[in-house]
Amino acid sequence: MARKAFLIDMSRCIACRSCQVACKQWNKLEPEATVNRGSYENPPQLTPQLYNQIQFIEQGQGDELRWLFMNQRCMHCGDAGCIKVCPSAGALYHTPEGMVAFNQDKCIECHYCVNGCPFDVPRYDRKKKVTKCHACVDRIANGLVPACVKACPTQTLRFGDRDALIAEAKAAGKTVYGESELKGLGAVYILEDAPQTYNLPAKPAIPASIFLWKDVIKPLGILGFWGAMGAALLHYVTFGPKKLDEYGRRHDDDLNPPEKGA
Amino acid sequence: MNNSMSRYVERFNVVERVLHWTLVVAFFILVFTGLGLYARTFFGYFDFFGGPQQGILFHKWAGVVFFTSSLLLALSHLKELFTFDQDDVLWLKKLGGYLSKEHEDIPQGKFNCGQKLFGIFSLVGTLVMGITGIIIWDPAAFGRGLTQFSLMLHALFFTLFMMGVVVHIYLTTLGNPGTISSMLYGHVTKTWAKAHAVKWYRKVQKG
Ligand code: HEM
Ligand code: SF4
Ligand code: SF4
Ligand code: SF4
Repeated sequence: MARKAFLIDMSRCIACRSCQVACKQWNKLEPEATVNRGSYENPPQLTPQLYNQIQFIEQGQGDELRWLFMNQRCMHCGDAGCIKVCPSAGALYHTPEGMVAFNQDKCIECHYCVNGCPFDVPRYDRKKKVTKCHACVDRIANGLVPACVKACPTQTLRFGDRDALIAEAKAAGKTVYGESELKGLGAVYILEDAPQTYNLPAKPAIPASIFLWKDVIKPLGILGFWGAMGAALLHYVTFGPKKLDEYGRRHDDDLNPPEKGA
Repeated sequence: MNNSMSRYVERFNVVERVLHWTLVVAFFILVFTGLGLYARTFFGYFDFFGGPQQGILFHKWAGVVFFTSSLLLALSHLKELFTFDQDDVLWLKKLGGYLSKEHEDIPQGKFNCGQKLFGIFSLVGTLVMGITGIIIWDPAAFGRGLTQFSLMLHALFFTLFMMGVVVHIYLTTLGNPGTISSMLYGHVTKTWAKAHAVKWYRKVQKG
C-alpha cells in the first residue's frame, strides 16, 4: 500500500481547536479539568486524554503581536524511536498505511517509548498503558479520513497519499518539514517560520543515547557474551585448567607438605 | 581451622558466603527479567515470572537485594581490593599465567590481581546499575535526557557484567579446580592456597 500521511499547513490554522474536540469525541477521551493560564492554549501539552493539541506561540514584535499555531501530535515516524525501544512486539506498530498505532493489550507498561520518541509524544493513561495519536486506525482502515481531519474547517489538516500531498505542497512553492528525516515523517508540516520557533527540532533524529543503546550496545553485547563463552571454552581445551596436583609441590620448599589422605 | 594439623585454610566466613550467594540469586533473577526487556528474542523469559509486569516488579526488588548485598561484600573487602604491589605488575605481565601450560611463579596475596580488578569492576558496576536503576525505575520521573542516558548505561554495564561473570564463573570452577569450595564451605586446601595465594597463605600460617 502506498504510504499515507498528514499534511499539516500551519499557515491556514485559525486555532479553532475543532481537531482537539473531534479527536476526544471519536476516541471517547475523558474531559480534563484545566486551569486558566492566561492563554487560549489549553491544556498546555499532550495528555493521556488529548492526542492532538494546538500550541499557541505568542511573540511580541514591537507593538505587534505575532501568533503562530502548531498542531502537536505523533509524527508517525518512518523510523520510529518508540517502536525501536518497545520490548513488546506489536504494542506499537506500523499500520499498512505507514502510520504508527498501538495495542494496549500488548503494552507491558514499561514506559520506555516516551524516552525513545524524538518528539516526547507518548503518554500513559490510568491503566499505565501507552496512548497517543494512532491516526484513527479504525477509520482509515475503512476508507474514512481521521476524525481531526474531518473536523478541520480550514484544510490545515489533510490526510492522503504521502507522495501526492508532498508534491502538491512543493508545487505550490512551500517548504515541507519532515519529508526525509527519520525515514520520513507521517505528519509533514508547512511552517511559517523556522522549526525551532514551533518547538520542533531542526533535524529530528533518534536521541543519541537511544541509538547507542539499541543499535550499538545491544548487538555488541550479544556478541560479547558469546565471545566470552567461546574464549572460556577455548582456554579450557588449549591451555587447560590450573590443576592443583601440578602446582602444589612447587611451593613446598618453604612450607609444610600437605598431609596425605587427611 | 587454621591450626597446622588441618588440611584446610579458612577463606570466607559465613557472612561473606551468605552475601555472595544472595547476590548471585538476585543477579540471575535480574539477568533473566532484564533480558526480557533487553531484546524481543528473550521476551518469553517473562513467562517464568508470571508475565512482563510482574517480571519488571521482580527485577526492581531483586535490584535492591543485589545492590545491597553486592555493595556490602565489596565494602568488606575494600582495603584488599585497592592494594596493589609489584607482584600485581608481574601478574599482569604474565596474564596471571593463564596463557601458559607451565606453572608461572607469581606470588599473590589473598586475591590475585585479576580478582581485585574484577572486584573493583563489580563495585563500580553495582553502583552504576543501582543509580541508573533508580533513575529508570519510573521512566517518566526524571528528565528525558537523563533517563535516556541511564537506559544506555544500564544496558552497557549489563553487557559488561555478562562478559565479566562468564569469565568469573569459568575461573572459579572449571578453570581453577578447588576454588569453589571457598564459597561453598568457606575453606580451601593448603595446596590450593600455596598454589594460588602464597603470600596470603604465609600470613595466615603465621597466625
Ligand atoms: C543494582 C540494582 C538494579 C536496579 C535498581 C535495577 C533497576 C532496573 C529498572 C527499574 C529497569 C527498568 C525496568 C522497567 O521499568 O521497565 C531495569 C532494566 C534492566 N536491567 Fe536492571 N536494575 C539493577 C541491576 C541490574 C543488573 C545487575 C542487571 C544484570 C546484570 C540488570 C539488567 C537489566 C536489563 C538488561 C534491563 C533492560 C534494559 C535494557 O534493555 O537494557 N539490572 N533495571
Ligand atoms: S510502555 Fe508499552 S508501548 Fe511503550 S515501550 Fe513499553 S510496552 Fe511498548
Ligand atoms: S513521533 Fe514519537 S510516538 Fe510518534 S511515531 Fe515518532 S517516535 Fe513514535
Ligand atoms: S488522527 Fe485520530 S487519533 Fe490522531 S489526532 Fe486525529 S482524531 Fe486524534
